[in-house]
Amino acid sequence: MLKNLWHFVLLSIFSCNVSSLTLQGTVTTTDGEPVFEAVITAVGTAKNKPSLTTSLRTIDQRNREFVSHILAIHAGESVIFPNSDNIQHHVYSFSPTNSFEIQLYKGMPAKPISFDKAGIVVLGCNIHDWMVGYVYVTDAPYFTQTDAKGAWTLNLPADDYTLTLWHPNLDSTNNVQIQQIKLNAEKTAPLEQKVTLKTTSRTGKPPAEDSQNPVY
Amino acid sequence: MKTKIWFVIVTSAIFFASALHADDFHNIQVHGEADFRYIHTNSDSQNNTDFSKFWDGGANQDLFHVNEAALTLQGRLNWSWTGSITAKYGYDAKNPVDISEAVLFFKPVSTSPWRINARLGSFFAPISLENTGTAWTSPYTLTSSAINSWVGEELKTFGGEATVGYHLENGDHVDFFGAGFGNNDTAGTLLAFRGWRLHDYEATISDGFKLPNPTHIQNIFPKQALTTQPFTEVDGRAGYYAGFNMERPDVLKFRVLYYDNRANPTIVENGQYGWHTRFGSAGLKFVLPFELTFIEQSMLGNTQMGGLVGTHAAVDVNFWAHSFLLSKKIIEGHRFSVRYDIFGTHKNDELVQNPNEENGSAWTVNYNWFFLKHHQLNFEVTTTNSNVTMRSLQNINPTQNETLWQIGYRVFF
Repeated sequence: MLKNLWHFVLLSIFSCNVSSLTLQGTVTTTDGEPVFEAVITAVGTAKNKPSLTTSLRTIDQRNREFVSHILAIHAGESVIFPNSDNIQHHVYSFSPTNSFEIQLYKGMPAKPISFDKAGIVVLGCNIHDWMVGYVYVTDAPYFTQTDAKGAWTLNLPADDYTLTLWHPNLDSTNNVQIQQIKLNAEKTAPLEQKVTLKTTSRTGKPPAEDSQNPVY
Repeated sequence: MKTKIWFVIVTSAIFFASALHADDFHNIQVHGEADFRYIHTNSDSQNNTDFSKFWDGGANQDLFHVNEAALTLQGRLNWSWTGSITAKYGYDAKNPVDISEAVLFFKPVSTSPWRINARLGSFFAPISLENTGTAWTSPYTLTSSAINSWVGEELKTFGGEATVGYHLENGDHVDFFGAGFGNNDTAGTLLAFRGWRLHDYEATISDGFKLPNPTHIQNIFPKQALTTQPFTEVDGRAGYYAGFNMERPDVLKFRVLYYDNRANPTIVENGQYGWHTRFGSAGLKFVLPFELTFIEQSMLGNTQMGGLVGTHAAVDVNFWAHSFLLSKKIIEGHRFSVRYDIFGTHKNDELVQNPNEENGSAWTVNYNWFFLKHHQLNFEVTTTNSNVTMRSLQNINPTQNETLWQIGYRVFF
């Protein structure tokens, strides 16, 4: 199988802040295409962990797709699954860390789903087989996701970090790219990392109109 | 009778459930297609109609007709059950309008890697990897492969099918399926008496086909009717099929199936013989880079009819076919497909007056354009070379070259 070579370019810029440094990066392909919704986590050596605020997160069902396609949350947060389509969805996951099912009529369901254990939760819809979504539940003290331009930002104290990039289409063991990074006030080390990405993978989008199948 | 029974069961279920759940579900979905064709055929012989490889082959002619019009009614009964019924008009059909499929699907949600689902009613066995569109149309070609043309003509499951699947989180899954069915005891008649054909006619549930060279067949088998009814129960004995499917969604699909209708070949009822038909079928679909799709299908089987004549049944014929399709989406909505078919039958029986031997191959080239969401324009040519010994009974050269040119306009909704 042919595989595209994707290019993960990490540009690190450090600012001199006594308590917090800003680490930024951009995830792009060799063609310069940004990689959207990739998850970046940073785990340092410091024993003091930042206090994380817990909020209610949302994954919508819109035009027969999960929106967001990938959502990173920290363990203990809850996600609510509204349905913006005018048809039913039947969302489920059989991931060992968080298996559940929820029947979605139109609008807002009564209860959110709580994700207490770290792990990757793959979402499906029992009515629309093509739908696929991911909840990345992490214990990492620092995490973020790339925006539409592939850019991300983390505010971190100086430390040695294990930096993890995850995207479901990364063609590597467990779909991750891991690197060690020493973060201090003096160092400015732009990083470049090349990874391959699956060329044929599930997009989670409805079948093309010319498949002759009504998409309902 | 069968039409009425399935129509009543499935439509009643759909409408009854929709009335119960009117507030919860937008239940009834109506889909369909209409298919208009201009066709031009060429053949070496102008009298090669009975044993032509095409539906309207055997003569040089131009035809314009409504090839097919189908309406599918789908309804969700609850979170686990759906129903679907398809009625169609088919060009040259025995009945102007008839049911082609009527099926209830059971698909409960699973929060474990194991999943079960089931189908109940009349439906196609999981053999074709090409006919995935509304009303069993193919997004690749107008003319089906030799294998899928025969599946459309003579195979239909009247019964139940259950599937147990094991899914991985990356979407990969393997499924084991099995089905029990009735009303398919005459499957094999057309392969033995006529041979393979390339077309896109799908038989409806009370359909019938005129036999080729029927007087000759009746001279040998006086009890055989002039028309074969593909979905008939002759001996009251259920048939089965079983197989497995391995799939990586949007990338790869591999499917194997074994079919045995367990028909008793010595029983004749209302002019219909039981044909004991067994075959193995395998299919492979690859989605390749550069918007390319490759589909291969193979079938190998045997059919037997009648009492022993010497050491074999009166008719004892092996059949086999392979198809290789390569399709490329050029740009959105534009698709170019090429398929090569190779097929044949071989006679094991000792009945010399019934020479069921053939060897043939065909190329099909299709370009289609899907536009304005619902419309599709097709340009297609199929050319075939075949040697059919039964043609000699009609004083036609057994080897014939035939070509079918088609312009097809289809609308889907």
